[in-house]
Amino acid sequence: MNNVAQLFFDAASLGGIYAMAALGIALIFGVMNLVNFAHGDYIAVCVFALIVPSSEAVAVMFLGHAPAVVLIPMLLGIGALLAMASEYVVFRHFRRADPVAMMIASFALGFVIQNGLLAVYGGRPKAISLWPDLNTPVAIAGASVPLLQVIVIVATLVVVCSLALLLKKTRIGLEMRAAAENFTMARLLGVRANVVITGAFALSGALAAAVAMIMVTQTGVADVRMGGQIMLVAFIATVIGGMGSLPGAVAAGFLIGAVSVLLQAFLPLDARPFRDAFLYTFVIVSLLLRPQGLFASNTSKPRV
Amino acid sequence: MKTILSATAVALGLAAPVMADDITIGFAIAQSGWLEAYDTPATTAARIRIEEINAAGGLLGRQIKWIEADTKSDQQQSASAGLQLIDEGADMLVVSCDYDFGAPAALAAESEGINSFFLCAEDVKAGIQGVGPNSFSASVLAAVQGATMAEWSMAERDAKTGYVLLDTTIEYNKGICTGFDWMFPTAGGDIVGRDTFKNGDASIASQITRIKALPQEPDVIMLCSYIPGAASAVRQIRAAGINSLILNGSAVDGSYWLGATPDLSGFVVPVQGSIYGDDPRADVEAFNVAYEKATGARPASSYAYPGYVLIDLWAKAVERAGTVEGSEVTAELEKMTDEPTAFGPRSFSDELHHQNAAEMQIIEITNAKPAVVSKWAISKPVPLDVLLR
Repeated sequence: MNNVAQLFFDAASLGGIYAMAALGIALIFGVMNLVNFAHGDYIAVCVFALIVPSSEAVAVMFLGHAPAVVLIPMLLGIGALLAMASEYVVFRHFRRADPVAMMIASFALGFVIQNGLLAVYGGRPKAISLWPDLNTPVAIAGASVPLLQVIVIVATLVVVCSLALLLKKTRIGLEMRAAAENFTMARLLGVRANVVITGAFALSGALAAAVAMIMVTQTGVADVRMGGQIMLVAFIATVIGGMGSLPGAVAAGFLIGAVSVLLQAFLPLDARPFRDAFLYTFVIVSLLLRPQGLFASNTSKPRV
Repeated sequence: MKTILSATAVALGLAAPVMADDITIGFAIAQSGWLEAYDTPATTAARIRIEEINAAGGLLGRQIKWIEADTKSDQQQSASAGLQLIDEGADMLVVSCDYDFGAPAALAAESEGINSFFLCAEDVKAGIQGVGPNSFSASVLAAVQGATMAEWSMAERDAKTGYVLLDTTIEYNKGICTGFDWMFPTAGGDIVGRDTFKNGDASIASQITRIKALPQEPDVIMLCSYIPGAASAVRQIRAAGINSLILNGSAVDGSYWLGATPDLSGFVVPVQGSIYGDDPRADVEAFNVAYEKATGARPASSYAYPGYVLIDLWAKAVERAGTVEGSEVTAELEKMTDEPTAFGPRSFSDELHHQNAAEMQIIEITNAKPAVVSKWAISKPVPLDVLLR
């Protein structure tokens, strides 16, 4: 077995998931300085949308029955709608509030969503077998790689490239970039704030849905708390990448995934349970060396 | 008129002490939040036993009533729920399934000198070692489950090599692996490798890479985890083409999660009793039927059973002590050696308020169908120093 290739695929696929989640957070931060801690709960909602709402122990597929061509756009749509709805109902009223108040509001929203899921689906984790064939390993470059890992890597690249195109080539993209640079100035120059912000939320929600599909295919389970861990890693990735920088979030997502896999592979057994402690030490070191993040955006630099 | 009034007063006067004379069991349990799914089945089972005792004339000639307080799956709320129930006159406290969430309420009971029982905690701390001398758990220690898997797989499946995959998220998992680590080499097996992961990990690809890098696939993989992480690990292990027999603790019992790995085979769980209708002991199936009658569905996992057992054992001890006073009931409980229950014999001592050995039913999942394939009792109890590792 080719160990280097195996490590590469393990690292790139985990990094891909983190990168996509981080991108969802960075998008929103870019346009309205909000760290949306409810992002992880969007992921959980998208996963639970696959099954019939019920607190029975055995899950019955609902949307999950649909063929992929229907299921994927539908789930992306659900994610986008959920995010847009939360913007309309909650965050719109916090436009002029300071970022800390918005962050607290996002915590509260996440709490409401999580408890809503608990009320409808019960506290017991559910089994969902979505596309089990995708976990079948295929041989690539001497490594045995589940098809899903390849799909995750390719999907992340596609999402990143199309997002880059959207931002560079379309009007909404231009407006988003302008808003991310300097929101007040952009509005003075005629950028439509509501369209930009709603658009960012829709994209972020769709990214949450994409992460949800990958996670459920990989793990086969739905749990109301499943978004928490990935949200934490994604948030850290946006911080390391430089708050508000989209390429930074993607790069840092991949970086954290890679470091996590390398630590798991090379730490001695006794130290392996403390993998995350080493991972976060790396995060601290990285922030000490570059407090503004690896790819700091212009807005985060003091303008004196 | 005067006579009627005084007659009423006498009747009321008589009625009140009868009410106060009931024995009260307080349930400080999660009725909301994520832990609810685990606490409710065992609580239901406890009530089934309470109703049986009441129907048969009660305990010490008194009826048992129960009061409840919601811990909301929160450790702080657990302490206040415990105190509230004690204020309301609880004679004994039943607390949450998990040690971390039940302990605050159990400590409140301990400080008042009344008995507390964990619904299904399997960590040695849920008893003398963590709470105090009047605290008990009716379940079987996690280490016993791991040791049972080790000895059974060697004796009946001819396992020689084992791989240990530990989910370091909670203490329960470590207990399972500790038991396996103690028994497997003792019985002559060879642990060829080990690795750790976290329940919430999005992927265990690197752990699988390590297993696949072994010169030979291990005979058994001891997976010390719980749902959802365990279901996710099994899905990824099988998808990677690893066909070793996968051994687990009781926490993954239940067929509700099997959808995560279609057509799963070679997956083994030790349990206190079978929920699948094939337990060799008639009492177990009679309980399953009673449970279905009470709730409309059969138990989703074997974690309902300890609730029934704990009321059964406590009531017997109260009967023998002739009082509900904590230390006297504790003394009677500690005298129990192989006390028969519907789910097998149970023992307590002044060192350990847990089961350090027990006959367990072995459930194997073949083509996604769980069934009892054997039963096993470890040849020697897990020593206290192993339990405290």
